[in-house]
Amino acid sequence: MFKNYLKIAFRNLFKRKGHSFLNIGGLSIGMATTILIGMWVYDELSYNKDFENYNEIAQVMQTQTFNGEIKTESNQPMQLAPVLRNDYGDYFKHVVTSTFTFDMLLTAVENKISYSGFFSEPGVTEMLSLKMLQGTRDGLQDPSSILLSKTAALSLFGTVDAVGETIKVGSASNLLVSGVYEDLPENNSFSNLKFIAPWEFLKKNQDYENRVGWGNNWFQTFVQIQDGVNMSVASAAIKNSKLENLDAESGMAKQKPVIQLHPMAKWHLYSRFENGINTGGTIDRVWLLGIIGVIILLLACINFMNLNTAQSVKRAKEVGIRKTIGSVKYQLIFQFMIESFVVVCIAFTVSLVLVILAQSTFNEVTNKSLSIPWSSYNFWIVSVLFIAITSLISGSYPSFYLSSFKPIKVLKGTFNRKEGVVPLRKVLVVFQFAISTTLIIGTITIYRQMNYVQNRPLGYNKEGMLYVPITTKDILERFETVREEILRSQDIANVAASDVLVTGTFTTNSGFDWKGKDPDFAEEFNTLRATHDFGEMINWEIKEGRGFSREYKSDSLAFVLNETAVAYMGLKNPIGEYVQWGDSGKFKVIGVVKDMVTRSPYSAVKPTIFTLHYGRFLNFINIKVKPNRSPKEALSHIEGIFKKYNPERTFSYTFLDEEYQQYFTGEARMGKLISFFAILAILISCLGIFGLSAFIAEQRFKEIGIRKVLGASVYSIWKLLSKDFLLLVMISCIIAIPVGYYYMNEWIQDFNYRATLSWWIFAAAVFGSLLTTFLTISVQSIKAAIAKPVKSLRTE
Amino acid sequence: MLLQLNNIFKWVNSGGQRIFLLKDINLQVEEGEFISIMGPSGSGKSTLLNVIGMLDGFDEGEYNFLDESVHNLKEKLRSNLYKEYIGFVFQSYHLLDELTVQENLEMPLLYKKVKGAERKAMVADMLDRFNIVGKKDLFPAQLSGGQQQLVGVARALIANPKLILADEPTGNLNSQQSEEIMELFKQLNTEGVTIIQVTHSEKNAAYGSRIVNLLDGRMI
Ligand SMILES: Nc1ncnc2c1ncn2[C@@H]1O[C@H](COP(=O)(O)OP(=O)(O)OP(=O)(O)O)[C@@H](O)[C@H]1O
Ligand SMILES: [Mg+2]
Repeated sequence: MFKNYLKIAFRNLFKRKGHSFLNIGGLSIGMATTILIGMWVYDELSYNKDFENYNEIAQVMQTQTFNGEIKTESNQPMQLAPVLRNDYGDYFKHVVTSTFTFDMLLTAVENKISYSGFFSEPGVTEMLSLKMLQGTRDGLQDPSSILLSKTAALSLFGTVDAVGETIKVGSASNLLVSGVYEDLPENNSFSNLKFIAPWEFLKKNQDYENRVGWGNNWFQTFVQIQDGVNMSVASAAIKNSKLENLDAESGMAKQKPVIQLHPMAKWHLYSRFENGINTGGTIDRVWLLGIIGVIILLLACINFMNLNTAQSVKRAKEVGIRKTIGSVKYQLIFQFMIESFVVVCIAFTVSLVLVILAQSTFNEVTNKSLSIPWSSYNFWIVSVLFIAITSLISGSYPSFYLSSFKPIKVLKGTFNRKEGVVPLRKVLVVFQFAISTTLIIGTITIYRQMNYVQNRPLGYNKEGMLYVPITTKDILERFETVREEILRSQDIANVAASDVLVTGTFTTNSGFDWKGKDPDFAEEFNTLRATHDFGEMINWEIKEGRGFSREYKSDSLAFVLNETAVAYMGLKNPIGEYVQWGDSGKFKVIGVVKDMVTRSPYSAVKPTIFTLHYGRFLNFINIKVKPNRSPKEALSHIEGIFKKYNPERTFSYTFLDEEYQQYFTGEARMGKLISFFAILAILISCLGIFGLSAFIAEQRFKEIGIRKVLGASVYSIWKLLSKDFLLLVMISCIIAIPVGYYYMNEWIQDFNYRATLSWWIFAAAVFGSLLTTFLTISVQSIKAAIAKPVKSLRTE
Repeated sequence: MLLQLNNIFKWVNSGGQRIFLLKDINLQVEEGEFISIMGPSGSGKSTLLNVIGMLDGFDEGEYNFLDESVHNLKEKLRSNLYKEYIGFVFQSYHLLDELTVQENLEMPLLYKKVKGAERKAMVADMLDRFNIVGKKDLFPAQLSGGQQQLVGVARALIANPKLILADEPTGNLNSQQSEEIMELFKQLNTEGVTIIQVTHSEKNAAYGSRIVNLLDGRMI
């Protein structure tokens, strides 16, 4: 019997090629999408799970309050780890201070390569369960040692057998390689850790002991909790570990630092803190994409149901005959289920091919390296379940529907296709197009918002600007010479060094005092330290007073404020006011500039202080190439100078425009994904109505013939066949508009700087849906309308 | 006695009005009979045949088939009874288009869960008996009307039914083909199969042993 069913299933597939093509095509596109999204979701959820101590590792977070604004960050003072170790030791197996991960030039005898890594305390190796290929996990105990990853060891020494070699880290002294570890897998927070150097070394080398205190939140602290300790209990216990160590009257204490643990399991998907509480993060995206994946599969299943129930007239006769020769209902249900199972299996195979084809593009868009895990046992189990569920969803309704036909009715020919199923089919079409239209609304809104933000007036000019990172002291010490030499070229307009880039003034400072400041005001400013020409270079607009000038020696103790800072400080006449900055001195406000977008273009401008600086804080040399000059020549000129003064370092530069574009990669990625899915949803839905309209035209073939003999025009027949569908799609749009408005309104609220949800977005989406529907259906109805009537009448 | 209909009524309600399709039908059929049902178009012949064949229900009256009361039977048992004892032949053949002749014949046996080897033997036997061995791998669309009806009869017969119900089995055939089918029925009847056929043709009716006349759903 089973064999017989399979036979029938295949014969039906081949007999109705067009129908099968639409069926399998739509379903496999839907399945491929779901598989891709499934792989993405799995990858997101398995982030960091490779760590043995996944459930015990946590990052120590610090929540501070600045003038009512609560911020939670991972930055910690280096004094915290010893406190946790000594006063709260029972809770933790390991407590380590680490720097943030950054790029360093590693120099072996012959090779030098820039790798990212960090300086950390010895416990980190046990905590991260490093797999040592050479040496032991104790390798960091000696402060003059260093651990290399396999990649780093291979490219520096050509072998993993590197223990005992020495390398130079930056321009600092030689460190002894004491171990080589297997690179950490890609899907985790430490995947780019190519070297681990001892924290003790850095501390001594940089004289941190004498330079940095509780106020310098420059480092990160990681812990691994003790066996049997509850993470949240430990987290609550260390709440005041910083505050206890501060002078109650100090500015730092006013910022009310609260310490808490952020478990590794939450780093990736729950990274957002609101009011000091860990609330959410990109898990929202995982949900969003997961739901879209399910919905797209559902759309594809709906096609299957619609196309198959539309076939009911054709299949009805078969059902009637089978019942009269002895079939019972469940046997027919079984038969139709097998047919859908066969189709789903074929579609699944096709979808795997589609996934392989789409993989690289998908990876590019999502910035991942996903592939089908052929050898994974779980993958096949999930696949079987997936096939079973899809077969059930798409096959059950047609099976029950078809198998319930009354034999005498269908055999007598009084079978009425208007009965029962049509309303449901209509509902399903409405559902499909409501989803598609909502996705179109989402796509347009996301792109419009990105476009809007991208065109945000910045208040400064970064045209032709590029920067070279300062990696050694040599350049800084000879900054004036370097500057003059660079300026010697006709192509260069200006040169200035700064501590942060104008596209991202992430340094914040507090400890300021000025006349009229409320003693309880816990302030926080963005600061930008730069050399004289910086302001002129970025073309800032001075509102009051003046910019920094070499003519005034006293400008070394001067501030330029932005408008927001003036308002924030409550200064009526800012020019000439004095501001005390910790122990650094009393600074005179010499100018006020118009607000500039120096951080995320999505958010509001922060109070910002600009000050002159020629010391060790400088990190970047900014260079402006004259407009209309070839950057290429300018670059080779600049490269020559850097090679001359810093021959050890490979020369690298970045245009500020590129730097700025990074603000958009995340959103651009989301936009691309959503538009990709919107197109798929539309495609699947169109395949569906294409099949349905073909079917209806076929069903009404004779009627159309008669109508034409009676004198109906092509237009009237087109109208007859199309108007139902267009009406359905219009209903979908009416549903999609409020739904789309609701979700996109939620989404856009996350941006401080945002576009409005104009009516035209919705109009365009509706227009798009109607147009595609119109074109899809017209193919069929016009074909039917222009067919020769004689032909259609003869076929009966 | 094979079956017995007592005071069968069947009606449909249409626009608040009750339209009778069958009125007070009383019919007793003995095993081995060959009955022809006649009457003008719309008189209820097919309706009656469908009631006898258990494809359709009725609204009043009693129907006994081999000591079972059909009107009291559950759907499942009724379909078992039907599968066991009744074979249908239709005016428009109603073969399964996607299946070959051989597979069409095999279908009722599959539904009756007859074992593989036995099934093959029965199909081969039937093909032989109807002289269509050469056609066994053809699809219905590749056969003439007469050949298709031959397959239809063969399929109705294959499960060894006690009763064959035929609704205008020769309606779509020419006179020579009709005659062949009727001869076949007659032969089957002599072998002991009970046959009830609906027909418009006096000539075909003459093959039977008894004629039931219907008019407006009533036996006359
Ligand atoms: N579901 C129904 N609803 C209303 N009337 C019906 C229904 N089914 C059958 N009839 C009517 O019952 C009558 C008998 O129909 P039936 O098909 O039994 O006629 P028949 O004698 O077989 O005719 P023919 O010789 O044309 O095949 C007809 O008038 C038909 O219109
Ligand atoms: Mg009839």
